[in-house]
Amino acid sequence: MPDHTKSVCEQRVFEEVFNTHSKTIRNFIYYKCGDSAQAEDLAQDAFVKLWNNCAKVPFEKAKSYLYTLANNAFLNEVAHKKVILKHQKSVTSIATHESPEFIYREKEFKGELDRAIANLTEKQREVFLLNRIESKKYKEIAEMLDISVKAVEKRMHGALVSLRSEIKHFKK
Amino acid sequence: MKHQNDDTYLAKWLAGEMPENELQDFKKSNAYADYKFLIDVVDGLETPDYNQQENYTATLDKIAKQQEKPVTKVRTLIPNWAYAAAASVVLFLGYTFFFQETTYNAELAEQTNFELPDGSEVLLNAGSEIAFNTFNWENNRTLDLTGEAYFKVKKGSKFTVITKEGSVAVLGTQFTVNSRNDFYNVTCFEGKVKVTSGKLNHILTPGNAISIQDHIATPYTTIETVPSWTAQESSFNNVAISQVVTELERQYSITISGKENLQDAYFSGRFSHTNLQQALITIFDTMEIPYTFDANSNVSIQKY
Repeated sequence: MPDHTKSVCEQRVFEEVFNTHSKTIRNFIYYKCGDSAQAEDLAQDAFVKLWNNCAKVPFEKAKSYLYTLANNAFLNEVAHKKVILKHQKSVTSIATHESPEFIYREKEFKGELDRAIANLTEKQREVFLLNRIESKKYKEIAEMLDISVKAVEKRMHGALVSLRSEIKHFKK
Repeated sequence: MKHQNDDTYLAKWLAGEMPENELQDFKKSNAYADYKFLIDVVDGLETPDYNQQENYTATLDKIAKQQEKPVTKVRTLIPNWAYAAAASVVLFLGYTFFFQETTYNAELAEQTNFELPDGSEVLLNAGSEIAFNTFNWENNRTLDLTGEAYFKVKKGSKFTVITKEGSVAVLGTQFTVNSRNDFYNVTCFEGKVKVTSGKLNHILTPGNAISIQDHIATPYTTIETVPSWTAQESSFNNVAISQVVTELERQYSITISGKENLQDAYFSGRFSHTNLQQALITIFDTMEIPYTFDANSNVSIQKY
């Protein structure tokens, strides 16, 4: 049930909104621009704007307001350059006792994967990574981006097909 | 496979929404192994570390910073938790607030109209200037005037207009003050106006005016309900001809030569702000002052 008594103008509420959404918004922009410092800067700016307009933005709308601001800020400020995302953690979940050969293959694969992700369209990339890394459901992503669930599904599908065709590993 | 033409089936598979029979088929295909491996790797990826506390602090800093900038419009949304940051800028803000003088002026041949912080209206006549301090305006309605202005004052605290020649104090009213060199004229249209000039104190009621020239106060009455100059005219009641000529220069933004030829005389009447030739006839012809006027709007007063 929407809580009409919560105002973003209250520091407690503002902080709660920040803690709930700031990381995902940072990553949302990061998936687009590939620069984590810039992504953090734009995410902070979105929250500053939310604060400035807190009286006009109901609590329930704060999330979509933030995504819209972040998206606009990205479109306005970030040149559409090639995006290479630097992923922090290597893949340790697949196997725990790897042979040197496996580790080498895995590194090679990761390099290819990074390039393949970079070659996705911006729209495919943001949807794909929001789903896989941020664990956002299609419906949530559709709301964030203001598109249909069907459009999200198409982008997800397209991203997977594109990744598979880009990675040489799969062409053996 | 029937899903081959479907451009969302991989999305359905990832979401666990693929129908069981299709899933069985899909699992048998070569593509399935590739996609499964791909997703396993992707799901192990992480984005760069994110320090939430640091980012929150940075956001608060940005909010506090934008309040440091000199504020021209009143910000009502000052986060109470930003007071710690705001306190360090109080001196700076205080300085600009206390000493911030707002100035309005009307260039030659134009009139400027504006509202004071309390909603009182001011119309400035050509070549005039008003300066006031917006800080604490509601309690200290005092402004400095050079030239001529028409005031519609909202009810409230004492409203004072200070000029070189004296001051005018009122409570909610409409009046004009004209303070040019050696000439001081106040006309009351509504309410009550107290005029102070040197030792002289005079209270004006609607329809009454006072002009002070050479330290001699001359009260007179007017039937005007608004100053004539707000309607593209200047009107005069027994005003030195030199003042009238100066007003003519202001309203048309021209320079009239040969003013030294003017002899002492007093003019009562009005001239238009829209037709210079007509205005010249009105003033000089009626006063029998010889003058020349050429195509380039050069006006010269002859010896007489």
